[in-house]
This record gives sequence, structure tokens and C-alpha cells, in this order.
Amino acid sequence: MFNRAILAALAGAIMLAVAPLAQAVEIKHDLGTTEVPDAPKRIVVLEYSFVDSLAAVGVAPVGIADDDTRGSIVPAYTAVIGDDWKSVGTRKSPSLEVIASLQPDLIIADTSRHEAIYGALSEIAPTIVFDSLTGTYQVALEAAKTIAHAVGKDAEMAARLAEHEKKMEGFKAEIGDVSAWSAQFIVDNGEGIFLHSPVSYNGSLLAWFGFKNNMPTPDGHTYEEAIVKTSLEQLSEINPQLILRGKYADPGLTDSWVGQPLYDNVTAVKTGNVFDVNAHEWSRLRGVIASETSGANLVEIVKNLKQ
Amino acid sequence: MSAVTHTATPPRTALRGLVLLVALVVLVIVAALWSLSVGAVPIPTQTIVNTLFNLDGEQQTYIIMKSRLPRMVLALLAGGALALSGSIIQAVIRNPLASPNIIGINSGAALFALVLVLVFPEIPQVWMPLAACIGGLTAAAFVMVVAHYRNLSAIHLALIGVAVGFVFEAGVDYLLIVSNDSESSAPMIWLTGSLWGRTWAHVTISWVPLVVLSAVALLLSYRLDLIALGEATATGLGLNVPRQRLLLLLVATLLASVSVAVVGVMGFIGLMAPHIARRLVGGSHRLMLPVAALVGMLLVVLADGIGRAIAPPIEVSAGIIAALIGAPFFIYIMLTTTSEQDS
Amino acid sequence: MPVAYRFALLAAAVLIAALLSLTIGQRSDVGLGNVLQLLFIDDGSLARSAVVDLRLPRSLIAALVGINLGLAGLALQAVTRNPLASESVLGINQGAALGVALGLVFPGLLIGNLDTMAIVGAVVAGAVTFGIAGGLGGRLDSMRLILAGVTVGAFSFAFVRFTFTLEDNLSRLVLSWTSADISAARFDQALPLVFWAAGGLLISSFMAHSFNILALGDGASQGLGVDPRRLRFIGAMLAAVLTGASVAAAGPVMFVGLVIPHLCRLWFGSNHRLLVPAVALGGAGLVLFADVVSKLVRFPYETPLGVICALIGAPYFLFATLRARHMA
Repeated sequence: MFNRAILAALAGAIMLAVAPLAQAVEIKHDLGTTEVPDAPKRIVVLEYSFVDSLAAVGVAPVGIADDDTRGSIVPAYTAVIGDDWKSVGTRKSPSLEVIASLQPDLIIADTSRHEAIYGALSEIAPTIVFDSLTGTYQVALEAAKTIAHAVGKDAEMAARLAEHEKKMEGFKAEIGDVSAWSAQFIVDNGEGIFLHSPVSYNGSLLAWFGFKNNMPTPDGHTYEEAIVKTSLEQLSEINPQLILRGKYADPGLTDSWVGQPLYDNVTAVKTGNVFDVNAHEWSRLRGVIASETSGANLVEIVKNLKQ
Repeated sequence: MSAVTHTATPPRTALRGLVLLVALVVLVIVAALWSLSVGAVPIPTQTIVNTLFNLDGEQQTYIIMKSRLPRMVLALLAGGALALSGSIIQAVIRNPLASPNIIGINSGAALFALVLVLVFPEIPQVWMPLAACIGGLTAAAFVMVVAHYRNLSAIHLALIGVAVGFVFEAGVDYLLIVSNDSESSAPMIWLTGSLWGRTWAHVTISWVPLVVLSAVALLLSYRLDLIALGEATATGLGLNVPRQRLLLLLVATLLASVSVAVVGVMGFIGLMAPHIARRLVGGSHRLMLPVAALVGMLLVVLADGIGRAIAPPIEVSAGIIAALIGAPFFIYIMLTTTSEQDS
Repeated sequence: MPVAYRFALLAAAVLIAALLSLTIGQRSDVGLGNVLQLLFIDDGSLARSAVVDLRLPRSLIAALVGINLGLAGLALQAVTRNPLASESVLGINQGAALGVALGLVFPGLLIGNLDTMAIVGAVVAGAVTFGIAGGLGGRLDSMRLILAGVTVGAFSFAFVRFTFTLEDNLSRLVLSWTSADISAARFDQALPLVFWAAGGLLISSFMAHSFNILALGDGASQGLGVDPRRLRFIGAMLAAVLTGASVAAAGPVMFVGLVIPHLCRLWFGSNHRLLVPAVALGGAGLVLFADVVSKLVRFPYETPLGVICALIGAPYFLFATLRARHMA
């Protein structure tokens, strides 16, 4: 009996010794909980904000959904992740085959865009999903944290976020008290303008810096949509004091409005406080690094604000 | 009315039909295998064989077994089902321009699925196929109820179906605009008829109904021939025409709805396949229906393959490719058949 | 009720719709009380600018689109002798949308600008529909015509829908264009429409008598000295051009050409001499009304005109088909 006990203990010890050292990490995300292998090496990301999160901790993905445009991955990212990644297609409908051919061990996808193919993606590799498209600035930071945890870079991300906070607080201090200013980020694609509401990434970012927002709340309480198509009349009612404009077309629709009393009398236009920003960087990237770029932009803009 | 003989078909025609049938089966098999090899990642035949039969050598397990194979199976199932559905509807409505599109099935399916995804986002999208099915049935049910309570001509029924389709389409357009979720791709892609992101799960939920319904449709082909003779003659031969019409429409609707549920709105298959079949083997439904089914399978499988291969990593929806292949052909057929050939 | 009174009522309804269209909007400083004053007296205020620079061109376009599409529908129904024919059912609208979508997705294919692409698309779709249905020469099977039109429309729209799956910005452009959003309408878009509407009215009035005769049948028409083939061709061309022009200015608007002639027939009878002005008025009124609704439904956000017209027109089309007695 004594021998049996020793044998059992020995067996147990041997089993522990040969047990696979790699353990899985349980990650909780928007569509449930997924077991992600420890320190994944081959990561495919299906939104720019996830590139941002990985670049923030120095991890290079092997595949990115870049809307078939390599240039959409900005130098701030490629400086860290290099140029070796493969395009897996559009963010809207990435090619499952290309993703699979990259043999990833982790896929990071967007909640609203990729919910329908979550099952298919999960068959390729463990997939974690975050709200990039409609999430706020705070949501983006949380997602970055979780992603860092999934790739085993908690310490790096904690350090990076501390650095981020310092930078952003620094920008905020430079910008000063802007609570009297209503700022509005708009996207102009030549045919229409789209305002980013306070529940959007940019809206919440501007709110974080202390700006207020004049967008009406249809039901009196909350906004439902992140991005709202707006007419000139509505813009004149909203009447922001500062407009941050991202143009996807040149000339934009707003350019054709110059000369119209309703446009010329919008406070921001009247006082010359319409500033053009990089539409792609502001509207699409939505991440730690991207928000620092936006912050730096804002500092410059606030310096040039005319009363 | 098309010239159709219902006595024993002369041996020559029957032989010709049989040869065509076999040839089509071979074509379908070849196309299906071809579709396994094309896509964003071209895969050589040896690898396909290795993967399928689990042999030594290079394998591409995910792409072949989990992506292209289920897509191929779905393409075959849905292609056949849509073609059969279209053939039946064309026979019942007695107009070669009818299709599942026409009775508003596609629009109904689209609307209900979109309502699910856009108005009730809490419900997981895996229920979308069921919602689509219910939507398609609702649209068709409207037409069938009207057909039951009012004795209307086929023409009138078709028009009501068209109107029903428009009503649902208006709803779809409203939802697309209002929801602001034009960013989320799945409903959009699905609306154009696509096999993107389809897995064995989709096959599992649809293969039984599709196979069973297709078999039923093939068995009913004899009754289609009777109906084609005209209401008076058919009734004289002992057929309860209104009841048969209803039954056939039900089968056609279910076939189309279940297909739409898994591959999205691909209505042109149901329009083009019967025409092509008719050109190949004439109007006798006993032969035409299986031929149409095979043509439908061929169309969808080819379209899916081409859509994947044409501009990787972008995938062009199979529905679009099918429409692009079929449209010129279809227009040619329509321009060269005169009004006298439909009733 | 004497015909003159009916016209007066209709005109009054149109004026009210126009007034409402000018009054309602997102700015809070324009109301029924001061809208007329703002319209005619230049006080340099922003409210006046809202009324005159933004809402007036938009209402004008709405009214003109209504006139054009109403007349187009009337002409189509006259030459096909089918009260259910209209530019939406015959695939012309969708063809125009396809033209624009192609122009946006493949800029290399652009012939002229997007407006031209719209007209080209409309005419090609119409030609294909008529061709499939038996051609302008031979017997025009109206059943085949409608089914052909629905098919052509569905074909066109499938490709348009596909563009929604491409890049975000592109899909937004296509979506906003194909749903006929006139919230950014300008005077220079309205001007060509005035020309088309005037021309359309003139030609339609001219042809009213011939349309009346055509309704009697081909044989009777020839006996009375009217060439049905030539008339069908002119009518179809008129419809295609008027539709194309509307689509180029505002985007595809469905069912106006179906609902208005149908309603006017119920109220004014089948004499085209009366129908032409009635349909013009009615069309303007309906689209102006739809414009008002499009501003109210999700206030303060807008719903594009095309969507509203479809939501109004499609159920009416269903109602009309259910009620129809004979299918020509």
C-alpha cells in the first residue's frame, strides 16, 4: 500500500513534469469568452484599431484587413510592425481563405462588422471581438488592455497606457479650459456630411478634452447613433464653435457651401475656426497611438483658435 | 402555349435528353471540383486529393474542408433548389418571366432577416436564416391566400406578387437607410446572394429540407405538364387545378425561402436556369426539371468559384456573378422568343 | 363636383404641400406665421436664407420631379394601355441607379458625369425592358412588359446592392445617391428640370388627344388616323427622358408615375386632356408631401425622399393590383 502511494505520487509528479507548458488564457470579449493560446505569434487583425493596440506593445500582426490599401496602415504603425504583413481584404468582408492560409493562432475582429462570421473565424483560430466601429475612446482603451492581455504583454501595455495618460493629460493641460467651446468632428465625402456624435469615438475623445457638444438628442436623453448624416440646415442649428473637418473628397460638400449665408453664419465658419484634419487618421484608426496624434493635432488647433 | 407532347416521348428525344442529363451531371461534378481549387489561395489538385482523403503530403485542411467544401455543397443544394423553384413558379404562373423574385419571396426574406439583425441586434445573427424563411413564406403566403379566396388569372397573381415584393423592398430600403449600420457587412453581402462565410453549420440546417423538397418537386413534375395544358384540359383530366397550384407554389416557396435563408437573395437562378433548360430539352417538365436543377447547380458553383478567383482578397458575391453571366444570355433568349410562346 | 372645382381643390392641396415643405425643417426660426414673409421680403436674416437658399430649391426640385414622373407614368400607361405601368415597374429607375453605381465604382467608365450616367442607365434599362417584352414594333404584351421591367430592375439593383459591400465611403456614396436624398439640393440642379418639365407638359398636352384615341385600340387608332407604333415610340421616349432627367437631378424616386395617374383617373376620368394637367399638379403635390414627411419622420434627422415615396407608393401599388379588374 505504501508502495502504491509512492507510485501514485511518482506518476502524478511525472505527469506534471510532462504537462504542456503552454497554457491558454481566458479572454472575455464582446461575443463571449475564448481560450487564447499563450503568447500568440501569428495574429490576424480585422480593424485598424487593433493594429494600433498591437503596435502600442510592439507586436507585429501577420495579417491585416486593410481595405486593400497598404497605405492605410500609417507610418506610426509600420514603424513598429514593419511591412511584412499580408492583406486579408476589406474590413467589411475579409477573405476567410487568406486568413486561414496565414495559419494564425489568434484573430481579432470587430463586433458589428464580423459578428456574422464569428463562427467561421473561430474555426480558423481563437477569435476575440471588440467594438471598434461604434465604441467610444474609453472602450478603445479597454479593448487595447484586453488585447495586450491576450498576447501576453500586460506589463508593456500598462507602461504604454501610463505613458499615454501622461501624454494626453499633457495635451489637455496645454489645451486648457475649453468648456465654453462646442467642438464638432465632421466627415465630408463630397455628397454629404456626417457628424460624429458624443457616443462616437471622436465625440467621446473631444468630450474627454473638455469640449462640449451641441448635437440634439432626438429622444431627449441619449444618442443612439455614432455617426449621423446631417444637412446644412441642421448644421446651422447645431452651430458649433469649432469644426474639425475630415475630407474624403476634394472639393468637399462644405466647400460648395461657402457663400451660402446659412453656412457662412455658422459660428465656426464665421470666426474662421474650421480646421481640416486627416480624415483617415481621425475617423478610422481609433486607438491609443491614434488618439495621441489627434491630441497633438488638437493642441495645434487650439493654439490657432480665433475668438 | 409551348408545344408539348404528353404521350410517350419519341425515343430519339428521350435519348437526347438522357445524354444531356448525363453530360450535365459530369459538368457539374467537374465544376464542383474546380471550385475547390480556386480562390484567394489557389490549391493544386494533388493537395485537394490529399486533404479530401487524408493522404500524406501537403494539405489545406481549413480551406478545403471547412470553407470550400461546405460552400460547394451549399452551392449545389441552393442552385438546384432555386432552379426547381423557378421552374415550378414559371409553370404555375404560366409566364416565363416569373421567378421566386416575382412572388416577393426574396424581398420578404430580406426584410425579415434585416429586421432581425438591425432592429433586434441582441438576438444572435445565427437566427437570420430562420427569419429569412419566415419572411419568404409570409410574402408568398399573401399571394397564395389571395389566390385561394379570389379566382384570379395567373397574370393577376403575378402582379400581386410583384406588388408584395415592392412593399417588402421599400421596408428593406428604409431599414438600410435608418439603421446607419451600412457599415456592418453581413446583411449587405447576404442581400446580394453570397456564400461568403458559409460553414458546415449552414449545411446542417438546410440540407434536409432542401433535399426533401427538391425530391418532392421532381416528383410533381408530371402535374406541371398537366397544368401547362391549360386549366380546362387539366380539370378535364381530373386535376383539381386551384389546389394543385397552391401545393406547387408552397413547394416552390419553401425551396426558395430555405435557399435564401442560407445563401441570401439569388433570384436570378430561378429565372435563368429554367430558360436554359427549356432551350436544351424542351418544355416537358419530367425532363426539364432535373435539367434545370443541374443547370442551377452549375451556375451557382461556377459563380461562387469565379467570384472568389476574380480579385482576391476581395470576393465578388456569387449572386452578382451569376447575374452577370446570366443576364446577357437571358436577354438574348427573351429577345428571340416571341409573345406567342407564353400564355 | 364640376371639373373646375376639382382642379381648384387639387391646386390648393399642392399649394398647401408647398407651403409646408418650405416651413418645416430643422431650423426653429421659420414657422407658418412668417414663411410667406420670409419668402418674399429680403430681410437678410438666416431664416430667410434657410427658406430661399435651402428649402426653396429643394421644394422646387421635389415639385418638378413630381411633375416629370407623373407625366412619364401617364405616357407609359397610355402607350401600354396598362394602368399599372410606371417607370419603377419597368426598371427605368433602377437602371439609372445602376448607371450611377457603375460610374462611382469604376470611375474609368464614366461618360460625362454622374448625371449623364443616370440618363444612360435609364434609357438602356428601358430599351432592354421594351425589347424583352416584344419590342416597340410588334405586339406589346403588357404582362411581359411588367415582368420584364421587374426583372431588369432587379438585375440592376443587385449590382447596386453589391457596391454596399465594398469600401465604406463608396458604399455610403452609392447608398445616399440611390435613395434619392435631396437635402443638399441647389438651384442649378433645379433649372434643367424646369426645362424638362415644361417640355414634358407641352408634349403631353399636344399628345393628349392621340392618347385618348390610342386607348380605343390599335385598329381603331389606325382607322382614326393615329399611328400606334409612332405614338408608342414617342410616348416611351418621353417617359424615359423625363424619368432620366428626374433621376439625374434627384436620384431614383419610385411609384410616383404609378400612383398619381391612377388616382387622377379616379377623380378626373380618362380624358387625357384633363389628365395631363391633373397629373402634373398631382405629381407635384405628392412629392412635395413626401418631402414634408421625409423631414418629419425621424425629426430632426432626415429620411431620403426615395425611401418615403417607396413606403407610400408600394402599398398603394399593392392596393391597386388587388383592386384591378382587368389586366389589359
